Amino acid sequence: MRFFQPLSAFGFSRLLAETRTSHILAPGLLSFNSGNKPSNFGFSGFFDSSFPPRFSDLDSSFQLRWSFPPHLSERVLSSSFTLSSQPFYPSFVSSTLSESSFSEYVTSFLSLPDLHSQIFTLPYTFFDSPLLEDVLSTDCSFFVLTGLSSLFNNQRKLSELFVSLRSRLSPDIALYVPGPIAPAYYSFLVYSGIDFFDDSLAYYLSERGFFLTSDSVYPLSNHPECYCSFCRSSPPDILGHNLQVMANKLSQIRFFLESDNLRTLVERDVHSSPLLSSTLNYFDRNYSSTFLSRFPAQQSTSLVCTSSSSLNRPEVELFRHRVRERFNPSPQTRVVILFPCSARKPYSLSRSHSLFIQSLRQAGKSFLPFLSELIITSPLSVVPRELESLYPPRFYDIPVSGFWSEEEIAVTSSLLIDVLSKFPENIILINHTYGQGYSDIVERVSNSLNLTVYHTSISDRPTSSSSLSNLSSTLREVFSSLDLTDSNSSHNLSPFLRKLIATADYQYGPGSGNILFSSPIRTRGKYPRDIQIFREKKLIATYLSRTGFLSLQPAAAQEILDYSLVNLDFAAETITGSSIYAPGCNHASEFILPSDEIFIVNSGCVLATARALIAGVDMNKMSSGSLAIVKKKLKLKKGETK
Amino acid sequence: MKINPSFSSIIHSYRQSALSKRSTSRRLVAWVEDHRLRTGPAKAIVFILPTRGCSWALSRSGGCSICGYLYDNPQKPDFSEMLSDFSSKLSSLIDPSLSYSIKLFTSGSILDSLEVPNHVLISILHELQPYSSSIKELVLESRPSYVTEKKLTLLRDHFDISKVEIAIGLESANNAILRDSINKGFFWEDFERATKRVFSFGAKIKAYLLFKPPFVSEFDSMLDVFNSVRQVVSLGVDTVSINAINIQRDTYLSSLFDKNLYRPPYLWSLVHICRELSTLYPNLRIICDPVAGGKKRGAHNCGSCDSTIVQALKDFTLSQDPNILQDLPSCSCKLEWKSYLFHSKLNNNDFFSLSF
Repeated sequence: MRFFQPLSAFGFSRLLAETRTSHILAPGLLSFNSGNKPSNFGFSGFFDSSFPPRFSDLDSSFQLRWSFPPHLSERVLSSSFTLSSQPFYPSFVSSTLSESSFSEYVTSFLSLPDLHSQIFTLPYTFFDSPLLEDVLSTDCSFFVLTGLSSLFNNQRKLSELFVSLRSRLSPDIALYVPGPIAPAYYSFLVYSGIDFFDDSLAYYLSERGFFLTSDSVYPLSNHPECYCSFCRSSPPDILGHNLQVMANKLSQIRFFLESDNLRTLVERDVHSSPLLSSTLNYFDRNYSSTFLSRFPAQQSTSLVCTSSSSLNRPEVELFRHRVRERFNPSPQTRVVILFPCSARKPYSLSRSHSLFIQSLRQAGKSFLPFLSELIITSPLSVVPRELESLYPPRFYDIPVSGFWSEEEIAVTSSLLIDVLSKFPENIILINHTYGQGYSDIVERVSNSLNLTVYHTSISDRPTSSSSLSNLSSTLREVFSSLDLTDSNSSHNLSPFLRKLIATADYQYGPGSGNILFSSPIRTRGKYPRDIQIFREKKLIATYLSRTGFLSLQPAAAQEILDYSLVNLDFAAETITGSSIYAPGCNHASEFILPSDEIFIVNSGCVLATARALIAGVDMNKMSSGSLAIVKKKLKLKKGETK
Repeated sequence: MKINPSFSSIIHSYRQSALSKRSTSRRLVAWVEDHRLRTGPAKAIVFILPTRGCSWALSRSGGCSICGYLYDNPQKPDFSEMLSDFSSKLSSLIDPSLSYSIKLFTSGSILDSLEVPNHVLISILHELQPYSSSIKELVLESRPSYVTEKKLTLLRDHFDISKVEIAIGLESANNAILRDSINKGFFWEDFERATKRVFSFGAKIKAYLLFKPPFVSEFDSMLDVFNSVRQVVSLGVDTVSINAINIQRDTYLSSLFDKNLYRPPYLWSLVHICRELSTLYPNLRIICDPVAGGKKRGAHNCGSCDSTIVQALKDFTLSQDPNILQDLPSCSCKLEWKSYLFHSKLNNNDFFSLSF
């Protein structure tokens, strides 16, 4: 059984100690100074050996001791890990030498006892070695990644290494990069899948007269003043200060992870280093699928997009991807209106959008079922009105400049073209946006799709009274020319129902919304409370107002099983307990993202709904540890069978 | 197999390209230096005999990865000139009223007949005879394979064998290090046999131990020195010399150094080793006089504390007084050294340098 298990993934995993304690160790700092009380700085562990070594160390092994709170230390699987041996030749010698020494090392490593508490050394040059397979199939859960420094001038190789290593490794294997690494790099490295660092930098710098801050290194002669107790003591305790900065940085990272917001911190931190910025860029452009398949889609934290790289953020990419793949517009749509975004979210609660909605109503309530609204915004590109309440459209924030970059225009118009092609042919487009960027987009779209376009806000702001009356009159004019008699009025769906259908499609898979919500439903509860949805007096789902997502009852999940992309094929016929563990998982859908609601299925029957802890791609790799927390189990009445 | 063929071939190619730079003639060199006899501080006269050079380094194996002494040896030694130089230098340097250690080095093995034929060796021993009362020890450097019954008999026949000390460059008692890091060409067991042979003749052994050979982290090398000392002492050897690496030109090690992939050890490590060993083995003679100590290509610290530490190590070697090493002034590089020990150990000695 592996020592670690992933708790929740964000890009890549963060690690918990062995199940029974649920004590978070990673991302963490390891100390090599066992004389230093590790609890002082919240170290995750320390190397229990003296530096320099004593003669008496000849007969003892090189150990890494985990620091657990005393009440947990008896319950953990193993309180220390051992570094028994290392490959002899470093990565810089000739390849024949390092290859043979690595293969000897792997053989001798595999013959060690208690592999779950052995430390494996992986020179980065062997990240794709087939020899690694044998190690990965054992319980070994702690890798030291060596030789990395030579890559710190090559963003292409560095990102290739991180991505292929982490996609190969099971998420319950911890990666440790030893050596002096500045705290400014931590958040990026954690984002790339590194779990542990050590405090050697503080010892390396402090007495040489260097002063750390969370984003830079300064000489002692000239550094920003610090008022921590280490700096105020006399003489100032620089080592103490530097250790504190490193420990604080990791604590900050853990905090951002906890609130599912690491990416925001990373975007902030990479600005201090051209290498890291370009590597992050490289990730987003070339390996987005690796990150997309591991990013939680259901969150409720604010998404702050402050840099140009935000356009390629995984959450943003994921949203665009799902809109393209999963959004199904109402088939009776005849007119599509484009609106600009608003600062207040969800859009419909903003002043501008309530004015827009008012003018639509003024034009005629009977037209509403034939209208679809799309909000054009950066970096999300296109947000259908139906999806405005979920993450990320409801939670993002951007610095408004009114200026659209060429890339934003290209991305947005390409998605808009794809979305508009899903609507019935011959739809009419009303452009109620104002500004050069918007009109560039609309021009590209109308050229490529050959649509009839009306501009209702061409000369003034969209919220001006002239633009608004323009909008109502244009709508009336357009609809009077349309023949709506062949439309079946019984299909007139309320805005809320349209939102439910679109949300279900977005969340579980295209087609599921129509199955769940086509027959009449009743609701109980009002925004901002959760809304319960009943059909034939039975509760089928809950609309979670806080996140904008749905939570289904197992019986309802059963109905959409064929359409669902969140199924986990479970090995047993009944579920006992409240967690789904890796050995019980036959196969998990690759579309499952951390924090998704998933369906636990056994031979065609939904046994329960559950909340995924990690991504589906990683579930299939794990051999132990919990994958999901059960939410609702299927309740069978007496005598009833599945 | 006592060599690693692919490693040895790399060293061989370095050796081949460097051998052309070899000098063709060189005279005998000699000097007087401070020395620690078993009984106390004294002087030593060191002779470097110009021979054809170490047979191991000249062989197809390429020799040791760290050693470039070979390049100083002349290709065609003139033994008659050497002998006349020897006798004149000896008589001019020696003061018969003092105690001396005579060190006969060839930058190879003096007991190797290809380097020093038997008749030359006998003549040298005869030259020493007149001063035998002031010569307290005679140090002869050799690889263990040349320490044969025949050679030892020859030495016994022409000199007081109890004064003879055979200095063997064991470097490490760990065969893997001997083979994969140094390309030494012999194993611990060879040293063990040679030592027993030497003891059976009543001569003494001095073991050279190499500190920080390539690919072995400074941390692991310290442990390796401890282990080697433990093994050597268990054989009954009473003198060890801890030789910290110095980077010799045109060697394999030097190529790593030039690419910034190797850092010579810290002097702090040597201080620690001597301190640790002198407490555990109070009767062991520990010699630690780093070549190029404090220089970039030798064991060094930060630059500001180097001369103090090198002097302390010299004083310790002469006096064998561990107190000299107890209260050395600390320096700002001491923590840096500890940090280096740690991360170079974990990084499997992959040199780690990040621009932070």
